[in-house]
Amino acid sequence: MIAEKYSIKELMAVSCAREIKNGERVFIGIGLPMMSALIAQNTHAKDSIFVYEGGGVGAISRRVPWSIADNPTAENALMIHEMWRLFSDTQAGFIDRGIIGGAQIDKYGNINTTAIFGKGGNYENPKIRLPGSGGANDIGSSTGETTIIMQLEKGKFVEKIDYITTPGHLTGGDARQKAKLVGKGPTSLICQKGIFRFHPQTKEMYLDMLFPGATVDEVKALIDWDVKIADNLKEVDPPLQIHIDIMKKYDPRQIMLGAKSNEEEDFDEFFETMKQAYEEVVLDF
Amino acid sequence: MRSDKDKQTSLQEAVKTYLPNGSSMSFGGLGARDPFAVLYEIIRQGAKDLTLMTTSIMDIGNILIGAGCVRKVEGAYVWIGSVGSGLNYRRAVEKGVPVKIEIEEYSNYSASLRFLAASMNIPFMATKSLIGSDIPKYNDKIKLIDDPFTNEPVALVSAASPDVVFIHVQKADTAGNGQIWGILMNDPTLARAAKKVVLTCEEIVSTREIRKLPNLTAIPAYCVDAVVEIPFCSHPMWTAGYYWCDLPFRRNFMLYNKTQEGFEKWLKEWVLDIKDWNAFLNKIGKDRLEKLAKMERDNYNIPVLAYEGGAKR
Repeated sequence: MIAEKYSIKELMAVSCAREIKNGERVFIGIGLPMMSALIAQNTHAKDSIFVYEGGGVGAISRRVPWSIADNPTAENALMIHEMWRLFSDTQAGFIDRGIIGGAQIDKYGNINTTAIFGKGGNYENPKIRLPGSGGANDIGSSTGETTIIMQLEKGKFVEKIDYITTPGHLTGGDARQKAKLVGKGPTSLICQKGIFRFHPQTKEMYLDMLFPGATVDEVKALIDWDVKIADNLKEVDPPLQIHIDIMKKYDPRQIMLGAKSNEEEDFDEFFETMKQAYEEVVLDF
Repeated sequence: MRSDKDKQTSLQEAVKTYLPNGSSMSFGGLGARDPFAVLYEIIRQGAKDLTLMTTSIMDIGNILIGAGCVRKVEGAYVWIGSVGSGLNYRRAVEKGVPVKIEIEEYSNYSASLRFLAASMNIPFMATKSLIGSDIPKYNDKIKLIDDPFTNEPVALVSAASPDVVFIHVQKADTAGNGQIWGILMNDPTLARAAKKVVLTCEEIVSTREIRKLPNLTAIPAYCVDAVVEIPFCSHPMWTAGYYWCDLPFRRNFMLYNKTQEGFEKWLKEWVLDIKDWNAFLNKIGKDRLEKLAKMERDNYNIPVLAYEGGAKR
């Protein structure tokens, strides 16, 4: 059943989940990908294994994780590694897909999550300091292929990013292969307007699918280069009701979907919501 | 030589002894088992000019930076996870508020490998991460070379041995055999990489109990210099099998953290004006802590051994 009501963020999470194929071993980065992992795990990708930087492998949890080493990344896991061991397994080629976010990106999928230099700024004195790589560089370097999820905004999809935190296809073509990176690099990008993919030869990003209601002109206006559009541009299917239900169940306070409050949060109210949500999850394994 | 007798000490004494100004240091855990009690004591003692060596770090890194204790970060990520932005980190880097910090940038894997190299007592490790990125461009301690055996490109990172590391675990004996359940991060490696190790634990247990589940012993006593028992040490984060995370506490912190003045107000209320960890826990309230402990125990408990004399709880 198609969902009657959904937010764009929810559609992003669902679209990202649909990129995950059943049986894949998937390295999940921080943020919305964590929601996508739960959607996939509870619908079409029941045989997939999800791994997190804190070392958890194959967890089955009762809520969405709030960070890469949070309890749900380890709850009912198959095993728990040290961080260096899990990344070594990734570098050794055991992980099929990585899902990561980004703040700034170029047409070849190179990602910046380190700093926006701004006018007159530089690395030492940036306009906006960002978190840094975390594990994004390692996930982007060595998982079989990567899916990127980020907001499409003016100034974010640019000709030249300020700092390459995570390598995509570098200068395009076979540049990445020549650099001898382990993984094949980005193959898809989800944003709030649609889905981009990367051309098999040139490795340039192109618009492959639009979200319902979004337009090509709108997308083009937000991208600094003359972005290519697929000949047979398709529309993304809306989420199913089950997808929305899963998100509500695992994130009852909508923390991953961006609910921010300017008021002091009441502990007891929070606690009761989470307790109830935990009780409703049936651990079926 | 570190002798394996009773290494118990107080938190105040451990910080005073092992963290002189100018030290390089690291914390165990991430979003779980983060040693908040230690963090607050470090700030109360007015630590200065610290080099924070880390992979990823969240709230404890931000608070330490906001309190002006840090001069340099060697690491991969400073933020508040999905809860919010690392505004103290941003203010320090962008505006030098309260102290300008220097950054030596890595990825999580390469930062981990620096600790692994130190733990093996070798000078560097090689990785296929970092290649093609700008991380080596702005960090001259990373060397991109052609591997002398295959001629293929590889990145080298140097060993990192913090002067001291503070790691919180579930259980330890008084000698410092530390048992971890749940996420490990790089803590077993960090304990071997650091020059001094201060181990805090939820519970001091007998060595007899440690011997029942030796696979859980992630940190051997021969690495450890001091042991401190600190219940709820990771509040507002989680310690597997002991207590759940207090997310509203973190989110309410974020409301204050929007400005440096707001952060300092929070710091005064929750750290500087608080005598010690017991006083902090009293301020949080017994009822709230008991709820967090019950929530965790009802949902995620360290399994009790089936045979007679198994781990109690």
